[in-house]
Amino acid sequence: MSVRERRLGAFCAAPITLFLALGFLAPLLVVAAFSVMPSRVFDLAHVPDFSAFVEFVQQGYWKSLAWSIGMAAIATLILFVVCWPLAWAMVHVFGRFTQIITALVVVTLIVSENIRLFGWSLTLMKGGMIEGMWRSWTGAGFDGLLYNVPVIVFGLVYVYLPFMLFPLVQGIAMVPADAPHAAADLGATRRQVLLEIELPLASPGILVGSLLSFVLAAGAVAESKLLGGQAVIVISDDVETAFTYGQNWPLGSALAIVLIVLVGSLALFALARLDLDTVMGRAER
Amino acid sequence: MNAAPILRIENLCKRYGDFTALHGIDLEVPDGEFLTIVGPSGSGKTTLIKLLVGMEQQSEGAIWLRDERLDRLPANRRPTCMVFQSLALFPHRSVGENIEFPLKIRGEKKPVREQRARELLDLLRLPQDYYKKRIDACSGGERQRIALARALAFDPEILFFDEPLSALDYRLRKTLEKELKALHERTGKTFVYITHSLEEAMVMSDRIAILRNGRFEQIGPAREIYTRPQSRFVARFMGDVNLFELRGGVDGSTLQAQGLSAKPDALGTLDIVADRHNTLVVRPERLRFLGPESAAEFIAVGTIAASYLLGSRVQYEIDAEDGATLVVESAAEAVELSPGAPVRVGFDRSDVHVIAERAA
Amino acid sequence: MPVPRWMRVLLGSYGVVIMLLLYLPLVAVFFASISKARYLSFPIRRYSGAWYGEALGSATVRDLLLTSLLVAAIVTVVSVVLGYFAALAFARYRWRHRRLFQKLVLLPIFFPQTVLGLALLMWFNAIGVLPSWQTAIVAHLVWIAPIATLIIAIRAYGFDPMLEDAARDLGCDEWQIQREVTLPLLAPGVVSAGLFAFLLSWGNFPLSLFTTGADSTLPEWLYAKMVSGYSPLVPTVGMLSVAASVLLILLATAVAMLRGRFATLGRSSRTGPPVPEES
Repeated sequence: MSVRERRLGAFCAAPITLFLALGFLAPLLVVAAFSVMPSRVFDLAHVPDFSAFVEFVQQGYWKSLAWSIGMAAIATLILFVVCWPLAWAMVHVFGRFTQIITALVVVTLIVSENIRLFGWSLTLMKGGMIEGMWRSWTGAGFDGLLYNVPVIVFGLVYVYLPFMLFPLVQGIAMVPADAPHAAADLGATRRQVLLEIELPLASPGILVGSLLSFVLAAGAVAESKLLGGQAVIVISDDVETAFTYGQNWPLGSALAIVLIVLVGSLALFALARLDLDTVMGRAER
Repeated sequence: MNAAPILRIENLCKRYGDFTALHGIDLEVPDGEFLTIVGPSGSGKTTLIKLLVGMEQQSEGAIWLRDERLDRLPANRRPTCMVFQSLALFPHRSVGENIEFPLKIRGEKKPVREQRARELLDLLRLPQDYYKKRIDACSGGERQRIALARALAFDPEILFFDEPLSALDYRLRKTLEKELKALHERTGKTFVYITHSLEEAMVMSDRIAILRNGRFEQIGPAREIYTRPQSRFVARFMGDVNLFELRGGVDGSTLQAQGLSAKPDALGTLDIVADRHNTLVVRPERLRFLGPESAAEFIAVGTIAASYLLGSRVQYEIDAEDGATLVVESAAEAVELSPGAPVRVGFDRSDVHVIAERAA
Repeated sequence: MPVPRWMRVLLGSYGVVIMLLLYLPLVAVFFASISKARYLSFPIRRYSGAWYGEALGSATVRDLLLTSLLVAAIVTVVSVVLGYFAALAFARYRWRHRRLFQKLVLLPIFFPQTVLGLALLMWFNAIGVLPSWQTAIVAHLVWIAPIATLIIAIRAYGFDPMLEDAARDLGCDEWQIQREVTLPLLAPGVVSAGLFAFLLSWGNFPLSLFTTGADSTLPEWLYAKMVSGYSPLVPTVGMLSVAASVLLILLATAVAMLRGRFATLGRSSRTGPPVPEES
């Protein structure tokens, strides 16, 4: 660490640090402050209390949190199973096509999530692309596949696929090319190579992908509204309602804080165990 | 050593689209031999080793391990083992876990595995306390030994080596070359080694096979390759060598050797083959400087162009009369010549090896 | 072990199926945009491009377009500048708090956007700023600047520090080094980051919803329409938005290809002695 680099590093880090302190940290502190304000006030000039948190427990808001966490966990698991073979193929099989797939997936990321979910509701609803076509061919219809919990999970899996896929690809690319060959040469079966070598060595990518998917899915709301028809209410929905219709900023803040603390501590815990340099850049080694 | 070959390669071909990497090569390796396959980049040696361990399938031909078809077995069922160029040690496992890996996946119990691993640590002269050490805490030379220990763990029939020493510095390489040779003698196993360095091959091997553009140019003991190369390619592969091409017919009187003046019947005594492109090969250490009265059967005249000190010997580059460059090596104390000095060099028929190749 | 042919075929088909599923909803949106009927149901009986005409002619849509465009443009410029320096601090220079900095800078990415939007709303309220398209810019930046940093940092990791040393040795001062060496080498990452920033801002909904105040961006309008009852303009405007995004990406890719940059996007800038060759 030369002195020059130390100064340059700190100098370069300053702009974004300042910006995030004002634009990210400060708002969160405001939320935290509001969460201990008495019910339905719109400023901070009051005596703090924990009434909002009590409401969280007593009014059953914890159920929304449980739904959010539960669905996010299942979605993350499904995402891992779905994305692993694709990611593996992108690194080891597809060659040039990997770039095409990457581009295609990135393009879907850029299209607003709402439009895509809207498209699914058009596809899955009664009279939609699937049911309508089916009915016109066979004469028998069905109710449409929307407005239930599985379709919400499906929506989560769909929207957050890139967030599992790309880290997995990076993780699998980090496995030294020779290691699986050596393991096979030493007698390991395909299954043993996967369990003993590929999964452990790709673990940073698995960790990042799972973390990202889980955290984002836990805070998601569009899927439950557009696809699930609010069959269950998720925590972000409650937060939104408390702020808008409920006109209850302290309650909304408290709910938000619970989510933030839960998700944030998970994120920090996982990030702390990662050496970002290895995951991101020195992947060639 | 058993008489029957442990490894037999029969008409092995490998094609990638239009490009042929291996043109129907044949090879027999006796049990317990240390065979090195040497070749420059692009010669096909990596392709060959991939076929041998099962990372690729051949286009034509067969590979036999004793009397079983090796090429029909998938890589993980072949009773052979490879030491990779990158060593391919598992970074997330300790030294002991790496060495035990082949045993673990074969279902051996922990005490058995540990005992075998510790035996191998001894065999490879690594300290016992390395058992729990992390791989990234080990030096280059130590990692080589760990890779060897792992390869030996399940007692394979043949050990393959894919240029494992090429990334090491000179001294470490020299040390490990000798250790590999000693290991080979201690274990008695068959070693098939791939490298681009003929020098390395000569230190360790019983026999050397020189691969060029997908074909074997010459196979034989190291001594033979060195003193009786069968082509100019092989001769030059060893390093600096003096080549005198013969022009003209078989009739001694019209034979000309580029750059040489020879005693009248000297050329006639050599094993020159008719209808072939003949070259005389003379190693630098067989050329000697001639004083004004000294004589030799073959003489060349020229001036010193440059001299290089090679430790105990000196190498001289000489611009000969007809424009050729000759290389002479002598002991450093024997002569001391400076650039520009006129010299006469000579050699006798016993210093010459004739290469007869098909006219290109 | 070489991958057997049947496995390659299986994996290839798997990839194709996933890509199709990924794009299926957009297909549905497309069909809905060209359906003549006011209330959508499949199979589509009559087709019409009339909705596109209406969408393109609508003043509301034009306003939304302008707002979205303005916000996205400014977000792009600012996030790239912030991200450039942050990436250097992230990946290039060794300084004391670097590891902590890395984790903290990435934190906003892992954050539920709804919550972030609401938090920013409260913050603006607390400091007395009225939400408008300008506050939306700040909101977008909080999420997008770290992403821009990440993208440029990936490029910065492959950067050979020796190049800067060589430049200094040849007589350059610090600003010259940035201009002649660092910036040109990181440029492909900067371009990618800019593209991402623009498109992510263009399509963003949750942050915009809470922080644009009286102004509105395209995604906000779409959402409002979606939940208030079906209007054929929704899929139409949606398709236009998608088309614009895709066009932009194609344009950027074409420009990059023409400049040969495409070839260097994946490669690092290391030009040291070659690794021993395989044969």
